[in-house]
Amino acid sequence: MADEPATDPGADPGGDRRRLIGLVVGAVVTALIVVLLVVGLLNRGASTTIDDALDAGSRPPAPDLQLPVLVSGAGLPPAGQKASLASLRGKVVVLNLWASWCGPCREEAPVLESVWQRYRGKGVVVLGIDIQDLSDDARAFIREHGLTYPSLRDGSDGSKAALEATGVPETFVIDREGRIALHIAGPVSRTGQLTGPLDEVLAEK
Amino acid sequence: MRRPLLAMVATLLAALALAAPAASLTVVEVAREVRCPTCNTPLDVSDSPAAQRMKVFINDRIAEGDDKQQIIDALVEEFGRGVLATPPKEGFDLVAWIVPIVLVLAGLAAIPLVTRVWARRGRDEPAPEIAPEDAARLDEELRRRGD
Repeated sequence: MADEPATDPGADPGGDRRRLIGLVVGAVVTALIVVLLVVGLLNRGASTTIDDALDAGSRPPAPDLQLPVLVSGAGLPPAGQKASLASLRGKVVVLNLWASWCGPCREEAPVLESVWQRYRGKGVVVLGIDIQDLSDDARAFIREHGLTYPSLRDGSDGSKAALEATGVPETFVIDREGRIALHIAGPVSRTGQLTGPLDEVLAEK
Repeated sequence: MRRPLLAMVATLLAALALAAPAASLTVVEVAREVRCPTCNTPLDVSDSPAAQRMKVFINDRIAEGDDKQQIIDALVEEFGRGVLATPPKEGFDLVAWIVPIVLVLAGLAAIPLVTRVWARRGRDEPAPEIAPEDAARLDEELRRRGD
């Protein structure tokens, strides 16, 4: 054993370093792929943060959407200019995601108009967000149904994602402090679906 | 009498020839450049209600004489850049085109490097030791062949 040389003359010190760098790079790439896979799997289904909070009895904050006005009203800027959901803080907002090509949206449009007519003088704003739609089609839909409440426009699916909606129509009641108090997935077929919750939220000081 | 008639026919043919490129644009040609916003599939293979409305929009614009790019621009104005089937080759969207090419080139560049490391690893490995009886047998075999 004592005859063994202290160092191996054939050993390559640079080789060890290269091997180490290779291992580190390989580990980093593998870790990145694993992280991407995990993130992808977690985001595969629709997020239910809002519904989970509502189920737990709390009111999650509504996202601050800033979108161009399709049809103005209720103190919103003129059509074409951007309006912010946060600018309606202090009012109770019935926020309705809709599209002209959506059949159930046709069914609920008169119900929403009726709620608007009944509550517009009580500090409530019914506000539509037309999503994934052609603006001419959207304006024709509003005219056809004689809707007088204002609507914003979002050609992309940004507001749908922000509100964790899975489709149209979906309706949210937002309280005076900008928190979501109610989420209705699917059409509002009766005014009672909204009048009860609206009366409760309006009764809060 | 014949000359004015011939002139009229020639003018009509010329007008048709000029109009031909615009008339040849089809809904499918435009639709395959964009995607359906509700189903995230190319518009030409989508049949959702939103996709049907978009196809009507494209058809109307073709009838009005718009070219392919004008119609695509109008759809981008309506739905945002996300409506494009492929990301545009400009600005930040270039990343989507460049990254795959860079990765392929990096992979190709790594091949000689990796093969060199593997080859060196094989060379550096010491030859396995032979048991004394095997060594004696080998010597015996070699000697016999040498005779």
